[in-house]
Amino acid sequence: MEIIEKIKTNKSIDNQTEIQKICLDKLRSRPLPNPKSEQWRLANKSKFSNFLDYPVNEKNPKFDTPFPNTSKSTIRLVIGNNCQINLIEKNYSIQQLTQDELDKYIKSQIFCFDQNENWSDLLNLSLSNAKNILGLKINGSKIPPIEIFSHSSGNSLNAKTLVIFLEKNCDVELLQVNLGKENSSLSQLTYFCLEENSSLNHGVVSYGENRSNLLNSLKVIQQKNSEYNLGSLHFKFDYARFEISIKQSDGYAKTNIKGMQVTKKDEQISTYTKIEFNGPNGFLDQINKSLADDESHAIFEGSIIVPKIAQKTDASQLSRNLLLSNLAQIDTKPQLEIIADDVKCKHGATISQLNEDELFYMRSRGITLPEASKLQLSSYFQEIISFIPISKDRWDLLDKLLNEK
Amino acid sequence: MQSKMKESEPILEVENLSASTDNLPILKGVSLTVHPGEIHAIMGRNGCGKSTLSKIIAGHPSYNITNGGIKFLGENINSLEPEERAQSGIFLGFQYPIEIPGVSNLEFLRVSTNARRKFLNKEELDTFDFEELVKEKLEIVKMDHAFLSRSVNQGFSGGEKKRNEILQMALLEPKIAILDETDSGLDIDALRIVASGIKKISSAQTGIILITHYQRLLDEIKPNYVHVMSDGQIIKTGDSDLALELEKKGYEWTDNFIKET
Repeated sequence: MEIIEKIKTNKSIDNQTEIQKICLDKLRSRPLPNPKSEQWRLANKSKFSNFLDYPVNEKNPKFDTPFPNTSKSTIRLVIGNNCQINLIEKNYSIQQLTQDELDKYIKSQIFCFDQNENWSDLLNLSLSNAKNILGLKINGSKIPPIEIFSHSSGNSLNAKTLVIFLEKNCDVELLQVNLGKENSSLSQLTYFCLEENSSLNHGVVSYGENRSNLLNSLKVIQQKNSEYNLGSLHFKFDYARFEISIKQSDGYAKTNIKGMQVTKKDEQISTYTKIEFNGPNGFLDQINKSLADDESHAIFEGSIIVPKIAQKTDASQLSRNLLLSNLAQIDTKPQLEIIADDVKCKHGATISQLNEDELFYMRSRGITLPEASKLQLSSYFQEIISFIPISKDRWDLLDKLLNEK
Repeated sequence: MQSKMKESEPILEVENLSASTDNLPILKGVSLTVHPGEIHAIMGRNGCGKSTLSKIIAGHPSYNITNGGIKFLGENINSLEPEERAQSGIFLGFQYPIEIPGVSNLEFLRVSTNARRKFLNKEELDTFDFEELVKEKLEIVKMDHAFLSRSVNQGFSGGEKKRNEILQMALLEPKIAILDETDSGLDIDALRIVASGIKKISSAQTGIILITHYQRLLDEIKPNYVHVMSDGQIIKTGDSDLALELEKKGYEWTDNFIKET
């Protein structure tokens, strides 16, 4: 764990920013997450160690997006590639946050960090230099769809941070794409602040190549009457971890999440979600799907926290899992923590294999077993993919999922 | 007429077939031969093995053939996969057609039809050509085009599901169709549509096996042979009058045949 050794010996980063210093200090006191903690107990230690074995790369080689920009009206940004934006149009504006605004916000977040729960964030902010932090404030309506890319380069660990403020009454479609190059690690930390009456359709597609790793952390704060929709897909990483934390700060907000992770070979991909209702009349509809094949391991742990103040919360969390091999493993744990007494909350989990009756029905019509399985899988994937904004017009995610070995 | 039929080679020969599932014997020596142009009806109490027989002919993987075998067009098909049987012309109309959420009915029908066409060395159809074909076949079962854009059988009423089965039969043009309780859950009008569809699709070159409990389907489609099954065996075979007698006397009447055998 090269990077941890460097952190311990204070040799890690040149030209540290104040935020990096704060985070490195915190990490030094306890460089690794507690392997016995709920958030880390199932993490594959050897794979996690591989994640940390690459040297930090602070430079960003030129990045050619592998996906065509088919629409001129889409705004495309690549974190780290001298990404500058200052758009002021009639109906909307997209401007970069000033260094002061960024620092102030990030510091306020660090202040509340828990060493285990926010370990990925601490690592990210320790390693992310100013070039790799993108901060935006978005205002207005009729905003063109936005695509934001993060990528790692070969044989190195890259850390990227994104902070976005959605101002009042703002309505945005934003797709984040995290691309892991072969033999690399990517740490991505994203903050969204949704002000009152704002709405975000957010997509996260994380797609790795051989032996690539990802720590992806997403923090969302929703103010009153905001709506946050998240469609996410993580696949083809040797080791990936997606941590989602959403807080409805004053209630009266809506959150919809449809996420999926697909594991093959001996990959491990996990999703941890924590949704907190800090006010009344909050709404959540969450579905998380895992599909595990070969000898892989998929993990989902989700918690919904409903304190006394969050009366009339309506929350539902469902974990649906598909196990395609006898050697694959799925761990799932949807949890509710409810103190309020006037709420409607439900959760559930299913783990199954491909439906034998459906397969026989299709085979009895001449469809071969592999084709029938593909049809079944495509319907399983479609529910999530169709919820990811922008991507569906642009790349054939379904084809990637069904046809890549 | 029957002797003329018998001059041709049989489409299906089930020979002394015994089969089990989870080591539980279900079929205990069933023999049945279907020639081109013949319609056979199989009747019997619930649990007597009628549906199992149909599934085993279609190649359901949950059943093991423990004795005897099945020949289709003179070839033993015991070891063929379900899709190979379907491609070669065996069609099973399900008693309870399966719902497949998320899979479009149109795509499902197109992939199935092309699998059969490929076997027959016919050109596979693209979406546009297939739409033309399916439009014509929808007429047979009086189904609305809107059913094609829905997921396979999802949200279909009982009658719509059965009509969708007959639509599939019309598209696949099988050599033999085994229709498992296609009449169950149908009102009189739907029964007539389904029966008329079956009659339009069947020909002097095809065979049909109707599995049913009721005379009302056999009033619409007159069988050449009626077989009564009990405890995994065919205990009596007759002509269409046997079904009428069964309707009058009930299955208790057939218990005497078991005692005799």
